[in-house]
Amino acid sequence: MNATVARLTVHTLLGRRRALLLLVLPAILLVLALVLRLTVGEDSRVDVAVGLLGAFAVATLVPLLGLIAGSGAIGPEIEDGSIVYLLAKPLSRHSIVVTKLAVAVGVVTVFAALPVLLAGLVLTGTADGIAVGYGLAALVAGVAYCALFLLLAVVTRNAVVVGLLYALVWESLVGSVVPGAQALSVQQWALALTRAVVGDAADVYNVTAAVRLAVAVPLLVAVTVASTWLAGSRLRSLRLTGDE
Amino acid sequence: MTVPGPPPGETGAIHDIGYRHYDGPRLGSAYIARSLFLHSLRGAFGVGRSVRSKVTPLLLLAVMVVPALIIVAVAVITNANDLPLEYTSYAVRLQVVVTVFVAAQSPQSVSHDLRFRVVPLYFSRPLTRTAYVQAKLLAMSAALFGLLAVPLLVLYAGALLAEMPLWSNTRDVALALVGAALLAVVLASFGLVVAAFTPRRGLGVAAVVAVLLVLAAVAAVVQGVASDEGNTTVAGWAGLISPFSLVDGVQVWALGAESSAQEAPPGTYGGPVFAAAAAALVAACYGLLMLRYRRVSLS
Amino acid sequence: MSTLVLDTVSRWYGNVVAVNDVSMSIGPGVTGLLGPNGAGKSTLIHMMGGFLAPSSGSVTLDGQAVWRHEQVYRHVGIVPEREAMYDMVSGWSFVQANARLHRLADPDAAAQRALDLVEMSDVAGRAIGTYSKGMKQRVKMASALVHDPPVLLLDEPFNGMDPRQRLHLMDLLRSMGESGRTVLFSSHILEEVEEIAGTIEVMVAGRHAASGEFREIRRLMTERPHQYTVRSSDDRSLAAAVIADGCASAVELLAAHGGLRLGGADARPGTLRVHATDHTRFVRVLPQVARAQGIRLFEVAPADESLESVFAYLVTR
Repeated sequence: MNATVARLTVHTLLGRRRALLLLVLPAILLVLALVLRLTVGEDSRVDVAVGLLGAFAVATLVPLLGLIAGSGAIGPEIEDGSIVYLLAKPLSRHSIVVTKLAVAVGVVTVFAALPVLLAGLVLTGTADGIAVGYGLAALVAGVAYCALFLLLAVVTRNAVVVGLLYALVWESLVGSVVPGAQALSVQQWALALTRAVVGDAADVYNVTAAVRLAVAVPLLVAVTVASTWLAGSRLRSLRLTGDE
Repeated sequence: MTVPGPPPGETGAIHDIGYRHYDGPRLGSAYIARSLFLHSLRGAFGVGRSVRSKVTPLLLLAVMVVPALIIVAVAVITNANDLPLEYTSYAVRLQVVVTVFVAAQSPQSVSHDLRFRVVPLYFSRPLTRTAYVQAKLLAMSAALFGLLAVPLLVLYAGALLAEMPLWSNTRDVALALVGAALLAVVLASFGLVVAAFTPRRGLGVAAVVAVLLVLAAVAAVVQGVASDEGNTTVAGWAGLISPFSLVDGVQVWALGAESSAQEAPPGTYGGPVFAAAAAALVAACYGLLMLRYRRVSLS
Repeated sequence: MSTLVLDTVSRWYGNVVAVNDVSMSIGPGVTGLLGPNGAGKSTLIHMMGGFLAPSSGSVTLDGQAVWRHEQVYRHVGIVPEREAMYDMVSGWSFVQANARLHRLADPDAAAQRALDLVEMSDVAGRAIGTYSKGMKQRVKMASALVHDPPVLLLDEPFNGMDPRQRLHLMDLLRSMGESGRTVLFSSHILEEVEEIAGTIEVMVAGRHAASGEFREIRRLMTERPHQYTVRSSDDRSLAAAVIADGCASAVELLAAHGGLRLGGADARPGTLRVHATDHTRFVRVLPQVARAQGIRLFEVAPADESLESVFAYLVTR
């Protein structure tokens, strides 16, 4: 963990246009939550919340924000070559990766997990732990996505497209058609946590997850740790060529 | 300027091999625009480029076509009388794939030129800004139309193989192709505008996807909730939010197709409003693109 | 900590060989890496800086391999060629951040010193995105010097600098070389290398074509006759005597400004160019012949001892 690296990463990550995207997406979620709160009847609020937070927030918003934050923490620097200033220092590559990941996780927490929690609270209050459950899922999924997409950004220059193919085409599309694919989906692992938090009411409100909690948590931890470590190793062998 | 030739009887000569001016016929600016169109269209599928730039579009094309193949296979085997889904709803079902395609290939088309500041080179030829924008738009629309049309044609061929009624299928597929063309134009204009304003690599892709997905999700949520509450009017109007449901609404009204969204455009004014909104969206995107290319700099 | 050793280093990308079996030793002083574009200079510098692994061979700094060894950067400063930097931070913040990343005890003082050295202290408060190309180059230099490294690698450092900045940088590099640091810079511009490099390493098409001081290299180019320009009171007799002696293969009588001299009746003074095949003999013979025939010698100078002629010879070999 290195404060200077963190500072520089914050500068690149919160550049003008990226910051705009990062602000607009959760804003839409919160506006929707407010509108729905005002228009939907008392009894169907929880169902609406489950739909909004599950299908919209965790399935769409969190992967997107994880992608923007995770790949944006290191991708632009590798692409234009300015990462040489970080690499030409007696700094452990793993420490660079961990610091950047920490910044990305911070961004995702503020712009994804917190808004999801707030949206849940706005819609359902603290009833049945829906808000907390989905907020937790958003946080955990966000961390895993950040680590995964940071690794992708170190490994390939088309990190964003590959990340999209995974998060959208694999997790959403293929996952909805081929049930087996859901076992390899970060979303589903995170939703297992939601199920655990919501507890008995999960089946009532149709909060489903494709894997059990006992499987999901180790998988999440394993993916996050492995991605971070791999990213650090690959950074040690990063090829910096001339103008490309 | 050549040195005068040798006196007759000798065979040696000095030839001028310096720079030569070209005075012959030149093809017009229509040719340039057409070439740009073809070049962009080929680029959208990675034709004529490195292997790496072929992977994404061809992979997405495959993902688009495979479900159609499966449906056809099932229909043939089970001797069904009818395809299990409407031609016009195929694009909506697979909108994620189409979205990723637009998001990935729009930057390929316009962001590269902007990022590397090559655009002034284009405009130093007899190529007007209008021609450039139109060529790019048409190319992206054509690419998207290809992406949408191929699975539809696969379904059609399969329907014929399974000996389903010829006339109704032909009519349906024709209507669906028209709808696909409309969707292609709408999505292409949208994608190109966002990509033209975000030339940095990776950000354009993320921005296009974010906007399209979020719009689709918001539309889905509003429609779902409104339908559950029994408020079909709001559900119908919510179709304006997302380009997919917007075009679907136009299809319902203009082509008599069945709605693939939750609700059709409401009332007698719904359809025309949807059509007008689609036209306005395309026009606005076109205008924004023209604005973007009004001032291009060399550095 | 001062000697970079490359030992039979090669680098290939599939079928393309970028660097072909290069061995060299870069010691204290200023070394110029010279070569046409595409000769592999950038690849070589990247390998020396630990940003690219050699496909075969080894790159070591005082015995320690450079690849995948982060601590080596305490002793190496790198000025990369690519322009991109953190555009939204100020020059001062950038250099200070570099100082902090090096874990220096007093990053502020080090940053100030580095910025003073490159004469950027007065504009250091502005964002880097507002700098001109030359200013960005100088900030890059400052960031590479902030930890006072004994080894400095510069990839095309004079790119985009105006003449005054170039002179300043040349002085800076010269003084660093004189103080015992190992400075290596790459360039494809002969004048730059000629002026400050004590040793030059020439790269042509991935191969190490020559190394050493360029006059020494010239002396080693024995197939090419050395050219001398002589001005005297009687060029023709001198020319005849030199040819008769046999130490030269050709003589040319040139007009004073270099063109061909017209017929014998023209007694305008010009110059004599001698293509000496045996130059040691020639420099002995010439004064003897001149004294024997009573010819005054006004000027005797080597005509092709420039880096340019050396370079042209090496490139076309």
